[in-house]
Amino acid sequence: MGLLAREIEACGVTTVALALVRELAVAVKAPRMLFLHWPFGHALGEPGNRLQQRTILHDAFSMARAAPRPGLVIDLPYQWRRQHYAPIDDWTKESQAFAEALARAVQGED
Amino acid sequence: MNKEKDTRVTPSNAFREWALRTSNDTAWGERLARWMGKVPGELQLRWKVGTPTDIPWTLLKRPLAEATVALVTTGGVHCCSDKPFVLKSDASFRAIPRTATSAELCITHEHYDRRDAARDLNLVFPLQRLLELETEGIVGHVAETHYGFGFTDNPHELLLPGHKIGTVLAQAKIDLVLLVPA
Repeated sequence: MGLLAREIEACGVTTVALALVRELAVAVKAPRMLFLHWPFGHALGEPGNRLQQRTILHDAFSMARAAPRPGLVIDLPYQWRRQHYAPIDDWTKESQAFAEALARAVQGED
Repeated sequence: MNKEKDTRVTPSNAFREWALRTSNDTAWGERLARWMGKVPGELQLRWKVGTPTDIPWTLLKRPLAEATVALVTTGGVHCCSDKPFVLKSDASFRAIPRTATSAELCITHEHYDRRDAARDLNLVFPLQRLLELETEGIVGHVAETHYGFGFTDNPHELLLPGHKIGTVLAQAKIDLVLLVPA
C-alpha cells in the first residue's frame, strides 16, 4: 500500500494511505500515512457506520492538506467499536482528534 | 442491508476461511493475524525492496471542493466481469469505473475476513461515500476510474504497476489518491 503511494506520488499526484500495521507503515516511508489500530479488512470502520467512514475520509483529506513534511505516520486515536462519531460540520477544517494526532506525530519526530 | 446487494467473494478453501474468521472474531486470532501481517511483511519489504532514503512529495494543488479524487484499494476488489486476481499472489491491477455498483464488484483475496467488506464494500473501497461527498459539494469530482489490487507476496513486484497507475492518474489530472489496504 505504502509502496503504491510512493510510486503514485512520484508521478506528481498527492496521496494519503491508510494503514492497519504500524510497523509496515513506518518502514515503507510513504508520503502521508494514517494508522488505525483496527482489524484487517476494516480500514474505513464497521459495515453500515456511515459517520465513522466519513470521519476517516475527513481525516484523510485533512492529512492531504495539513501534513507538514513527507513520511509522517499519524496515529488516529479511534478505538475499535468503542467510539462515537459525530457528523462533520466543516470539511475545510481539521477535526480536533486529527489536529492533536498530527501534533503528537510532529512532536515525536522533532 | 439487502442480501442481494452484497458483493460477491471468490471462495477460498474451508480451512483458510475458518482461520480468517477466527482472526476477525477472537482476540487471539487478531493478535496472530497482526503478527503475521507485521513480521513477515516487514522482512519482505526490507529484503525485496530495501530501505528507501528519499520520500516523494507532491503538494495538493487545489482545495478539496475543486479537487478530483481517486481510490486505490488492495482489498482484492475488481469488476465481476473482469479477470479475478490469482489468490496466492498477484501484482496486477484492475480498473474500476465510478459507475460500478457494489453488486457489480467482486472481492478476490484470501488474506482477510471479507464478510464485513462484502456487506459494505466501503470498508475497503469507499466509492459510495466519495460519490455522496461529490453530490454534497465537499469533494470537487470523483475520478472516472479507480484501481483495485489483490494480495501480493513480493512487494517489489508492485513498483512497476504502481508507476503505471501513477502515470495514468497524473495524465487524468487526478489531484488526490486515497489508498485503502485490506
